[in-house]
Amino acid sequence: MKRFLETGNFAITEGAILAGCRFFCGYPITPATELAEAMSKRLPQEGGVYLQAEDECGAMHVCIGASLGGMKAMTATSGPGYILYADPFGWALGCEMPLVVVNSGRVGPVSGITGAPGQGEFYLTRYPTQGGNFECITLAPNSAQEAMAMVVEAFYLAERFRMPITVLGDQLITDGFEDITVPENEDEMKEMGFRTWPRGSCAGPNFYPFSDDLDIPPVQMGSGAGGLCSDWTPTEEGYDIEEVEAHHKHAYRLIYKVRNHRDLFNHLYEKKYMDDDPDLVVVSYGTPSRVVNTAVDKARSLGMKVGALRLINLWPFPDEHFSRKTKYLSVELNWDGELVREVQRAAPKDSEVHFLGTCGDLPTIPDLLETFEKLLKNQPLERKGWVLEAW
Amino acid sequence: MQYSSATLIDKYLRTRKIPSTACSGCGLGINHKVVIQAIDELGLEPNDIIWGTSIGCAGRQTFATWKGDGFAGTHGRVYAIARGLRIALPPDKKIICTVGDGDAFGIGLMHLIHSARSNCDMTVIVNDNLGYQSTGGQFGFTTPQGAKTDSSPYGMFEHNLMSEGMDVMHILKGAGATFLARHVAMDGQRAVESVKRAIENPGFSLVHMPYPCPTNFASRELGSRNQVNIYRWIKERAKPLEEADENTVWATGVWHDATGSRPEFSEHVWASVNKIRKTGAL
Repeated sequence: MKRFLETGNFAITEGAILAGCRFFCGYPITPATELAEAMSKRLPQEGGVYLQAEDECGAMHVCIGASLGGMKAMTATSGPGYILYADPFGWALGCEMPLVVVNSGRVGPVSGITGAPGQGEFYLTRYPTQGGNFECITLAPNSAQEAMAMVVEAFYLAERFRMPITVLGDQLITDGFEDITVPENEDEMKEMGFRTWPRGSCAGPNFYPFSDDLDIPPVQMGSGAGGLCSDWTPTEEGYDIEEVEAHHKHAYRLIYKVRNHRDLFNHLYEKKYMDDDPDLVVVSYGTPSRVVNTAVDKARSLGMKVGALRLINLWPFPDEHFSRKTKYLSVELNWDGELVREVQRAAPKDSEVHFLGTCGDLPTIPDLLETFEKLLKNQPLERKGWVLEAW
Repeated sequence: MQYSSATLIDKYLRTRKIPSTACSGCGLGINHKVVIQAIDELGLEPNDIIWGTSIGCAGRQTFATWKGDGFAGTHGRVYAIARGLRIALPPDKKIICTVGDGDAFGIGLMHLIHSARSNCDMTVIVNDNLGYQSTGGQFGFTTPQGAKTDSSPYGMFEHNLMSEGMDVMHILKGAGATFLARHVAMDGQRAVESVKRAIENPGFSLVHMPYPCPTNFASRELGSRNQVNIYRWIKERAKPLEEADENTVWATGVWHDATGSRPEFSEHVWASVNKIRKTGAL
């Protein structure tokens, strides 16, 4: 194994290469530019191809083309580019093309603040395209090292589920320098818990079975097997059809292949001080969770019965963590409250669900401790507190 | 050479999809046959070609007709998909895309320009029915000036890519396309010969092929769905390049041939990658 003091962008690049990615197409955007730059340097050294497209919509379509030809492909962007993926994202979901999409969150909406972290795409990674009738998988690391691991995991899931997987980071994860360990061979990858899955090629003629089965290789163009894929409702053989029943069957597959196999990724979370029924559960994902963990350590040392739940697998939302009636506090990098809405939905009906939002900057430990204390003492949150209306 | 459609269909197309669901009198089938005939005359097999299609009449009616592999992109994006696919495919495999005018010259124009810019080996057949006919008949970017459509009830008056001295081919030539031709659906063997050269060009080729739409375009502009009228109307406005005059809307023939003038995209990319891999530099 090799150790580096490097950025999350470096870690993601190395993770992608370890997972077998040999194709990247992107469009420069802060704070994901250095990831594209690292790919442009590293991929040719590994015999892979780096391309730049005319825009993000083109970039993800180019990646789809490479994946359609049998290559493992990745693209990366930030919020303003992620919305331009809406068109190809739908195509990749419908045609079941494996792809990995990295989104390094910054402050929105629109161009917002380019070089500061934000978490405004929590729901967008669940609904990255129009039309509904699909389920998405989103993984959210909280460090450079974990970003590498989650990119490797995303390639693994992308192949098994035949779909695009989003790795949702933020500016601090991709731009921040950290101590990174990179495995150098397959044994070391296994030792670090990295799983990989080879690219297969579906010889047809049943390319789109109406089942929730995993591990069906994706359609590949150029194999000569008469492979078909399109943006239309497919028959099992890939022909286009406009018929509600056929579309229902297709949608069943897109929804339930994910919902019925959550065991492949629902272990991706971190719990701290959660074994003694804490009076307050602090929920977070991504970079804020690192401040939360420190604040919860401190709170425990001060005698506050607080626990921390960090989500790594964001979608499908892991409702099972919220079965206990207690107080919940969602700490997020946005001011509108996104994760808190899902917590509110998943928690028992009369649970108290609170929200603490910062954006462009992390919450501070004193702010968090003050909030914990007030919530535990049933005092109202004056400045930043916000309780959702009943769902 | 005389061709029976049945022979070509048996060899290259899926009978499940032929005849297509195109309207009665639609000229798309003529263009489709021109392309299949060119493929046959070049001696290519179903396994040699990956067929891409788009949205609209041209895309929907040609998708999955090809016996080999086929994909349909979202509206206007098939050129970007084809660029990625080109990198992954062996160089001897051809990519042919049958698309419409809205797809190529409207929503997909930027992706098309960048495919021309990179000289990516693909042959784009733009089946131009003079507007958005699958949505009922709205004007597009190659609709002749003054034409009445459902969205230009007073006559089409916007500046577009095929009027007032403009020609969409200028854009594509400037962007770096290495083979460009135009033929109307009535051009017969002349069109077949151009499509053959387009497929053979190891780079970005485009053939612009206006064809008659009796159902929507003709019914609004000519007030009749009589197929003879719209076929005659298009024919009267088309002339070979060397005979074109001020009344010519579609100057037909090989518009630009720069075959071999610059390296093909995937060949160039892979040669560069291999050099960097071996030597660490370009």
